Amino acid sequence: MGRRSGQTAFEGVHLVVPAVYFVGTIGLGIFVLQPVYVLLSVVGALLFGGCCRGWRAVGRSLAWQAPLVMLVCLVNPLFSRSGATTLAWLGPLPLKLEPLAFGACMGGMLVSMLQWVSNATCVLTQDRVMGMAGRRLPVVGTMVSMAVQLLPQLLRRHALVASALDACTASGGGGQPSASGRARLGSYVRSSTMLMSWAMEDSLERSDAMRARGWGATSARSHYRTELLRSRDVLYASALAAMVGANVVLAIVAVGEWRFYPQLPTLEPWWGYAPYAVLMALPSVLALAERLRWNRLG
Amino acid sequence: MASSRGEVPALQLDGLGFSYAAAEVAPSPEPVICSASLTVPQGAFVLLVGDTGSGKTTLMRLCKPEIAPEGSMRGTVRVLGRDVHELDPMASARSVGYVFQSPDNQIVCDSVCHELAFGLENLGVPQDQMRRRIAETCYFFGIEPWFHARCAELSGGQRQLLALASALVMRPRLLLLDEPTSMLDPVAEKSFLSLLFRVNRELGVTVVVATHAPQAMVDYATTAFRMEGGAPRQVELGSLRGGHGLLGRIGDDGLAEPSGELRVSLGDAWYRYERDGRWVLRSADLSLRAGEVRALVGGNGSGKSTLLMAVAGIARLQRGRLSNALSRSQAYLPQSPKALLSRETVEAELMEWSASGYGRDEALALASALGLASALGRHPYDLSGGQQQLLAFAKVLLTRPRLLLLDEPTKGLDDAARVLVATRVRDAARSGCAVLVATHDVAFARVVATSCSLLFDGQVSLTQDARSFFDESWVWGA
Repeated sequence: MGRRSGQTAFEGVHLVVPAVYFVGTIGLGIFVLQPVYVLLSVVGALLFGGCCRGWRAVGRSLAWQAPLVMLVCLVNPLFSRSGATTLAWLGPLPLKLEPLAFGACMGGMLVSMLQWVSNATCVLTQDRVMGMAGRRLPVVGTMVSMAVQLLPQLLRRHALVASALDACTASGGGGQPSASGRARLGSYVRSSTMLMSWAMEDSLERSDAMRARGWGATSARSHYRTELLRSRDVLYASALAAMVGANVVLAIVAVGEWRFYPQLPTLEPWWGYAPYAVLMALPSVLALAERLRWNRLG
Repeated sequence: MASSRGEVPALQLDGLGFSYAAAEVAPSPEPVICSASLTVPQGAFVLLVGDTGSGKTTLMRLCKPEIAPEGSMRGTVRVLGRDVHELDPMASARSVGYVFQSPDNQIVCDSVCHELAFGLENLGVPQDQMRRRIAETCYFFGIEPWFHARCAELSGGQRQLLALASALVMRPRLLLLDEPTSMLDPVAEKSFLSLLFRVNRELGVTVVVATHAPQAMVDYATTAFRMEGGAPRQVELGSLRGGHGLLGRIGDDGLAEPSGELRVSLGDAWYRYERDGRWVLRSADLSLRAGEVRALVGGNGSGKSTLLMAVAGIARLQRGRLSNALSRSQAYLPQSPKALLSRETVEAELMEWSASGYGRDEALALASALGLASALGRHPYDLSGGQQQLLAFAKVLLTRPRLLLLDEPTKGLDDAARVLVATRVRDAARSGCAVLVATHDVAFARVVATSCSLLFDGQVSLTQDARSFFDESWVWGA
């Protein structure tokens, strides 16, 4: 449900538009280590995450990401002796403000990147991306799409094999958990060999099916376009690229003004943050607007 | 009307012979096909029947050089008047479509729209043509509602339909299908066949279907051939109609009303695979006595396999209770027999569980009873699908379980093999084993079952003794 409403932000447009957006957002996020930028990026990522993946999913991912941030935040001051403002003494070790701030920024950036990447995979679904890639690189495209299907299939089958053996209790100890470590290892090796040969056999059949439908019959392969690139998409994509470009310039200025060591400068209000805030909030605003419109109509 | 189109036959075999390339196990292999001659006029709907291993698949594959097996071939195969060896892969892909048995392995792409486009892309069909053909094919087959679905989410019937559509989108004149419905349930099979029939009559595509279970197709067919001694011989269509084949000959004797002790009971069982998924079992109840053979019938997705897994203890109930007095001496045969096969040879496979108290003689005796005697030294993966099924069945049977859980044990088996399985299941029940079998195979269920449970919407809607169940049933009564 959350997924559907999230895609409305980029739904009616060609893949290029969200691709430009996410490349710009993630690129800026990685390189700009400045507290205001990091904060905006985190907030934007979480908001859009809530829109496209649902608040529950965002909460679940934060459950393991938040401790990670704390760790990065706290470990940095222990190793870094730079900084001028001592907050407290932990035995012989001084706890300083600057490395703490640096750690917090790093942690924030890490979370925002993880969140933005999850959001991107939610919008740029694999089949959309492969649909694009298949045009230029049909073999690579087909290979990747098969490899992606293979892993879940192997896991599913592994579970099937393990449970089927466990269920055959009349077999006298074959697959029972009480078996010795060595026997277990042996059966593990056997079952993985078997899963491999199972997959190999499937692939032989699949390659026959591919050849039966003319795979490799000609080098002049054509490509079925599921999405058409319209002038509107080009317009949107260029507008986004221009926004990203402007933010790159502003970010260079902001980073030039900022330093962590030896002492943190005071942050002051600046109009230059506004375009970045707009860029970060854009997809969430679009998604929420879409939602509001439907609620009103429905 | 379609049959009068064109003078050239769609398919013509002339003195065709074939033997597989020599291998270590068989240095001078027997010919699989010898002096096969056959003419299929355009627009015909031809059945090619015969037991597993009679050479149906080999014959069909020889008509499509890209997938023809390795070996030595004599004679000629002409498709629409041209020798197949003159056809390049492009021409062959254009004129001959091929649908395989397995709904899973012939799907190449991960979404329905890419799968349909795959063959057209391979041929370099231009964009406009491609759009038109895909649109028309989807319209014809009613694929539009799931056009954007991922292939992994489709049911077996939908996948096989997709395979048929992906072959037809290339507009072949001749369509070859190898056991296309053996993995489908009876309802999915019938809808598949009715579409295939429309393809034949409305689009004028010549159809050749290889099958060991022709009953459901006889009404559509114009001609039938039986593979005997490596060559197809024409047979009367009417002779293929006959009721339940060999299974019908197993008498109704033997299986008494089960009066054994109550051994397994499942009460108010609820189960779903994911936290937010739909309930596959919703308040299902089931009880099973020693010596009883219970058939579980119901459509795809009605929860038969899940119920079986719940009894086996694999699917742990989220609500409800299971009491299984036989949980320490049960055996479970999953739908994919390969899940139980992990040894290097058939013999090692049969002996794997000998610790449970059976000897080599017993294993060999069962193997030869099930027709596996000649395959003892082979790798299980070199067996045919039917033989793998029998091997896995033999393996669970050897452990002399007191509770036997079978998931579609006759899937893909020919008549003779189904009789072997039916006989063994009845024997096990006579010795007091409780049997629970999920099956689509009505003829098989009629012969083995003492009672029947109908699953619908995750519940056991009805349990009855088998005879009255089938006599009163509207759908399964046939």
